[in-house]
Amino acid sequence: MVRSFSKEAVLGMIFAVLFALMALCAPGFLDAYNLGNMMFQLPELGILALAMMVVIISAGIDLSLTFTAALSGVVIALLLSKGSPILVAVLAGVAAAALCGLLNGFFVAVIGVSPILVTLGSMVLFEGLILGITKGNAISGFPDAFAVIGNGSIASVPVPILNFFAIALCTSILLNKTKWGRCVFMVGSNPLATLFSGINTRRVLLRVYLFSALLASVASIIMISRYNSAKVDLGSSYLLQSVAAAVLGGTEIAGGYGKVMGTVFAVGVFQVLSNGLNLLGVPRTVVDMMMGLILILVLVLNFLSAKARQKRVAERGVI
Amino acid sequence: MNKKWSGLLSLILSIGMLAACGANAPSSAPSGTSSGSSSGAPAKQPAAQPEAPKGNAKLKIAVVPKLIGIPYFNASERGAKKAGEELGVDVIYTGPTQADAAQQVKVIEDLIAQKVDVIAVAPNDPASLTPVLKKAKEQGIRVIDWDTPADQSLVEYSVHQIDDEVYGRHVTDLLVEKMGTDSAQIAVLTGGLSAANLNTWIDWATKQAQEKYPNLKFVGDKIASDEKQQVAYQKTLDLIKANPDVKGIMAFSTPAPLGAAQAVQEKGLQDKIAVVGTALPTDSKPFLDDGSLDVATLWDPEKLGYLAVAVAKDLVEGKKLTDGQDVPGVGKIQVKSDGKTIIMGPPTDFTKENAGDYKF
Repeated sequence: MVRSFSKEAVLGMIFAVLFALMALCAPGFLDAYNLGNMMFQLPELGILALAMMVVIISAGIDLSLTFTAALSGVVIALLLSKGSPILVAVLAGVAAAALCGLLNGFFVAVIGVSPILVTLGSMVLFEGLILGITKGNAISGFPDAFAVIGNGSIASVPVPILNFFAIALCTSILLNKTKWGRCVFMVGSNPLATLFSGINTRRVLLRVYLFSALLASVASIIMISRYNSAKVDLGSSYLLQSVAAAVLGGTEIAGGYGKVMGTVFAVGVFQVLSNGLNLLGVPRTVVDMMMGLILILVLVLNFLSAKARQKRVAERGVI
Repeated sequence: MNKKWSGLLSLILSIGMLAACGANAPSSAPSGTSSGSSSGAPAKQPAAQPEAPKGNAKLKIAVVPKLIGIPYFNASERGAKKAGEELGVDVIYTGPTQADAAQQVKVIEDLIAQKVDVIAVAPNDPASLTPVLKKAKEQGIRVIDWDTPADQSLVEYSVHQIDDEVYGRHVTDLLVEKMGTDSAQIAVLTGGLSAANLNTWIDWATKQAQEKYPNLKFVGDKIASDEKQQVAYQKTLDLIKANPDVKGIMAFSTPAPLGAAQAVQEKGLQDKIAVVGTALPTDSKPFLDDGSLDVATLWDPEKLGYLAVAVAKDLVEGKKLTDGQDVPGVGKIQVKSDGKTIIMGPPTDFTKENAGDYKF
């Protein structure tokens, strides 16, 4: 019997091959500085992609994700620059993000508006809010202790990557070991059947959006600490990248399936590709094109292998 | 479930190991450099002698714009590349594909990993670059800024396209010249009320009016156009309707003059209202041709890119730039008394006659 690999395993192999390839071709790829560099760069997108993954598993999407992050970042930045203690500022930022998440969750779960519409609206709403607060200016000037979150290292391992792995672990446990986690998959596959199974789907969905907003807030804390500044478009380029990473990681865009490992590998693939090609001096526009091509390629591969598996199952069924 | 946990664990371990062995000795120098990088593998000395003389290896100068793929920064790319050829240095021109500070930081981090000699950056958000520019300096990379100032405590030179005071005053002078009178009602159109550079220019333009042309009367406050031509057009129509006696409009930010000119064109007021503004010559050519836009004034971004590279080269070679020095391909530059701020020169005016000669 032919043993077929899971989507995640295939992606893991792609990651390993790309890593080896870049190590061979790109000058300086394996330097201590560059390896550290990648571990500083990866977590922002990584955490946002995990947040997006959970929402997509529930058959939704969160277009307001990066602006939730920016809003939370701006709140923290404002408080820090006014001299508040770090803990107070961070808690306020997390609370702001939680409010954003609850707002999205309320409209999606309780009112029942489609997630893409709700979050499209809240995206513009949050952007407007931030512009109102900051007038478009950047807020900067944080205490040095705060910079450790984004720029520090423990035993030459960057703090952000440690955060990222902790978050990946938590997300995995929450999704796979808790009742809520199982309900997320169920709601994503069939909300009606889930409701009739006696599960409060509203509460499940509300928590999905709350969870993604909280992760967005963690990502924003890392970002503003790393960049020493918060602004309306903080991390705005990550919005579609996070969707791309989740989908590349094997998450079913229609909901019901998705794995933390897959998303982690996908973010790793993006990171290695972007960094390696930059080192090789490939123009940024070409880097973007290659990312797009790889995304399409892997998705087609996944689709074909899923079809082949279905066919095998069907044949076996006949016999 | 067990498989997944072991997978995650092994990934954590492998990354940990990579970090550890990377920290100890990055001895495994890659053997084959790709065809893409031209000047051979850079010396792999981890931050031991930051200011070591480079021998006969070509200097590597990285020029980072706010974003790539817009006409303005394409023009500065041409200039930077031309400077690379003429001055015999390797120029890497790379930047984010969106004007996002996070992306720009990553581009610079990757440039540090490439061990370039100089990074010349046009920051999207100056504060957000402070940590990464510090990192660059720790790795022995020299840092300058161009187009937009970065953290002045980190850069060794700050290349400005224009002297803000000269530029602001120049716009007022141009408007008076084009109106043919210094006793008139004028209005100010701007990109955004919070744009620091635009506000500085407007302040100087206003000051020039107060000092030299006391009979100029400003109609209302400055009008924001959200950096959009369409908005500038609409606001100008409103302005003309509410103040039929307006004789001159000065428009700041590159889309604003076009919108104002479009409104003047539509109303057929070319001879009654003079429009002067900061626009790119190719965009403004159609409006310059029929007189709805009287003159556009800006600088040449191609020269700015060239100057950034020239300054970077002189910096590494230890040549001090002096006030009034003639930089080949650019012209006479100004160096301010702080020894750091470099001003490329006076603004370039684009008129009906010469706008066709430019490629940006």
